[in-house]
Amino acid sequence: MDCTRFEEILFLYTDDQLEAEVVVTYRRHMELCPECARRAAYTQRLLMVMRQRCRRTVAPESLRQRILASLPHRTAEE
Amino acid sequence: MPFVDSLFNTAFRLTRNAQDAEDLVQETYLKAYRHYDKFQEGTNLKAWLFKIMKNTFINNYRKKQRVPPQSDFADLEGGLESRVRDDGASRIKTPEEEFLETIVDEQVQEALDGLPPDYRMAVILADLENFSYKEIAEILEIPVGTVMSRLYRGREQVDGAVRDCARERGYLRSGAPNKRRSSPRRNDTSEDTGGVE
Repeated sequence: MDCTRFEEILFLYTDDQLEAEVVVTYRRHMELCPECARRAAYTQRLLMVMRQRCRRTVAPESLRQRILASLPHRTAEE
Repeated sequence: MPFVDSLFNTAFRLTRNAQDAEDLVQETYLKAYRHYDKFQEGTNLKAWLFKIMKNTFINNYRKKQRVPPQSDFADLEGGLESRVRDDGASRIKTPEEEFLETIVDEQVQEALDGLPPDYRMAVILADLENFSYKEIAEILEIPVGTVMSRLYRGREQVDGAVRDCARERGYLRSGAPNKRRSSPRRNDTSEDTGGVE
């Protein structure tokens, strides 16, 4: 695996989308190439920061009430 | 009311406005209720609801999104959130990784909010809602290859915005490259043919 290929499939690696044997080749490349290893570590960190820093909003209770009120009422048979 | 928080969170990220997000979620549930006969039992309900929401968003809200984002996240969400969990503490971090620790929530959110809607949707579904590539393809009704290229481009733009921040704050040299080392050679000519326009 060369560095260009490594870069191309980096997100597939971080998203755990690669076949097991490709992962082996991938990790071997990282052992040999500090620059790519650094790139992979940075990208994993970036994705983690994105996940953690984008604070989740919770649906307001008023919205739940509004939705329930707007849905046609189900009968017991349904 | 299944997945209401996930739907609302995503709606908020898409519309960037709490009132529009509420309307979008309400309309999504109403449509799901009306068309429940079209849902195949045993398939992915969450993905189905998100697909309805995506279509509703495109039909009703996208035209309104021309205006710049209202940065009301800070007001609505109450300022800074917790620091990053430091599970890589034993390893020495590079300067690049170091600056990631210094950026604040608003900067990440602004970077995400600044993405074009197609990329933003893919990134939200993957990185905030943890959908698989296959599920995202189903929700956005695009091929998996297009999901991958949108994720690549979207995340690359977030990375670029974060680096700009770092540069402004003196964590990166002003000459430091903004781009990743190379562009993917993936054939992206079909990127927009399966799009959500």
